[in-house]
Amino acid sequence: MSDELIQIETPFAFNEENQREFDELIGRYPVKEAAMLPTLHIAQKQAGYITPAVMKYVAEQLEVSVMKVKDVVTFYPMFFEEPVGEYVIRVCHTLPCALRDCKVVLDHLKEKLGTDVASETNLAKGTTADGKFTLMKVECLASCDVAPVIMVNDDLYKNLTPEKVDELLAKLAS
Amino acid sequence: MVEERRILYEHLDVPDINTFDVFCQYDGYTRFEKAIAEYQPEDIAKMVMDSGLKGRGGAGFSTGLKWSFVPKDIKPCYLCCNADESEPGTFSNRYVLEKNPHLLIEGILICCYAMGIETTYIYIRGEFTLGKKMLDAAIKEAYEKGYLGENIRGTGLNVDIYSHPGAGAYICGEETGLIESLEGKRGQPRNKPPFPAVEGVFGKPTVVQNVETLCNLPFIVGNGVEWYTQMGPTYADTRANPPTPDPNTGTKLYCISGDVNEPGVYELDLGLTCTELIEVAGGLRGEEVKAVIPGGSSAPILTHYELDTRLDFTSLTLAKSMLGSGGIIVMNETRNIVDCLLNIMKFYAHESCGQCTPCRWGTPWVRDIVQRIADGEGRDSTITRPKFGIAENGRWGDTGETEEIYEDLDLLESVANNIANVDTMTWNTICVFGIAVSWPAVSYMRKFRPEFEAAIREGKLVTLPVAEATVPPEENYAYQQRFVPQEFADL
Repeated sequence: MSDELIQIETPFAFNEENQREFDELIGRYPVKEAAMLPTLHIAQKQAGYITPAVMKYVAEQLEVSVMKVKDVVTFYPMFFEEPVGEYVIRVCHTLPCALRDCKVVLDHLKEKLGTDVASETNLAKGTTADGKFTLMKVECLASCDVAPVIMVNDDLYKNLTPEKVDELLAKLAS
Repeated sequence: MVEERRILYEHLDVPDINTFDVFCQYDGYTRFEKAIAEYQPEDIAKMVMDSGLKGRGGAGFSTGLKWSFVPKDIKPCYLCCNADESEPGTFSNRYVLEKNPHLLIEGILICCYAMGIETTYIYIRGEFTLGKKMLDAAIKEAYEKGYLGENIRGTGLNVDIYSHPGAGAYICGEETGLIESLEGKRGQPRNKPPFPAVEGVFGKPTVVQNVETLCNLPFIVGNGVEWYTQMGPTYADTRANPPTPDPNTGTKLYCISGDVNEPGVYELDLGLTCTELIEVAGGLRGEEVKAVIPGGSSAPILTHYELDTRLDFTSLTLAKSMLGSGGIIVMNETRNIVDCLLNIMKFYAHESCGQCTPCRWGTPWVRDIVQRIADGEGRDSTITRPKFGIAENGRWGDTGETEEIYEDLDLLESVANNIANVDTMTWNTICVFGIAVSWPAVSYMRKFRPEFEAAIREGKLVTLPVAEATVPPEENYAYQQRFVPQEFADL
């Protein structure tokens, strides 16, 4: 990653609270690099998504190369390299949910939000025009007994039906 | 009707059991107190060995044996608790983490005491935000109450527990993938040997254990080996020569989902049959069982002919399937197996870590073949080739007959078997992800071949009646090596 690219981004640094969290985190591991995933989680929480500036900052903090951070970010589906909506809706579509009609829920969400499903390389495709929601399909969320399930940011919603989806969207939109 | 036997889940629904005080009202931490007061570390390791506890994460490897591989003279030694529950159909760890995290901490303390471990990392799935919150709160409480940290209960024992969030990659549930991920890298599995017990996280000996395995430890210590071994069957393992006793002791958190009336986690003694489990879970939703996946999506599928198979490690291995993580998915007569396989293959194509070429290219290839068949564009040109089966000499080989093969089905089997060969149980990949791909691909296709052939022939998905869709057990190409030795038949 060239320096030019990094400079056009807004510089990034942890805020006070996250810095404290990071300082506590770093003491847990014998090597700094091991704190990579938790650090990226904190950074993503603050910045919204992982920009090149975030990668550069994290790399400096963990004393590794930027490329190594990029390497990790591209591997894990939970890290976003593009902006996402305020609410990220993750719809589970693996077999147990599929057997319980997750497709109905997904189609209903697509219709209600008026957007397509995001792909890992094109998050904008699944983001609504107002930037409020990002709709994406994910693999098993380990809640097969209450299928079909979706996750909205950090919260799990169970046994969904189109009616429940309507209620949920109304609650989130308000 | 089989009764549930709740041990790990006994107090799960008690309000506020996630807090230290309530947990202590229900014998919390007394088993750990007993361990440090009455036993030496070696005694605990011996108890675990004698209990016959097998790892609940998937491989079913003896926990006591795993511990015995850890060199005693290399310090520090680490414990990694695998809470990266991502196998489709499995959801028992989630409830332990969200509702009863202190039980896990107590299990970890016992393991740490037995193995002389001072640092434990709990690798928790990134999506388990509530589970992580509850776990972190419990860890904090345990530190405050003096059950974690330095000089625990005045015994000189030091144990630190840290939770480490993953970030949505299935492969990080594989033990060496987990270790790589914990070290802050891509979660790409390592070659074995060296096994993690010798060289694991940060190059040090590491014990990697599933949440459920660790949660068994307090009960083994608290109630004794004799009590524990009464639960579940012990077989004579005829694969060993001379046959050795092969215990399948304890309870298992069976996660049942799909077409049953009351899906959920049921804690039952190991060794009940599929039919019994479906009955416990409120019966089948639908008319007839078409197929059962016995151990998470990686496990080879069972047909309605095999519903009397016992759900324990040994019986399922002999049935050429596996108990895995105990995620049972039931499918009724309305389900199309081609469609189900497509769903699972999409999962594996997405989750392949991309390290080994056969898997990186093979999994999307298998997915594309199944997609093609499901779209009604399956290639129907037939190839005549020698038919393999039980030959005249009674062994697997060329039968001297010929058979017609649909091109795409032959290709599907060939590609899958070149990622990992299900007949010889050898894989061309570093980790067992390869076999987790080809097991479902080949077993679905062999056992439900009429449905695949119909989809190719008709040019669309055709859901056949159960009896027609399933290859009968006499057709040994689908069920080959499936035999139950006499000793097992009596149990």
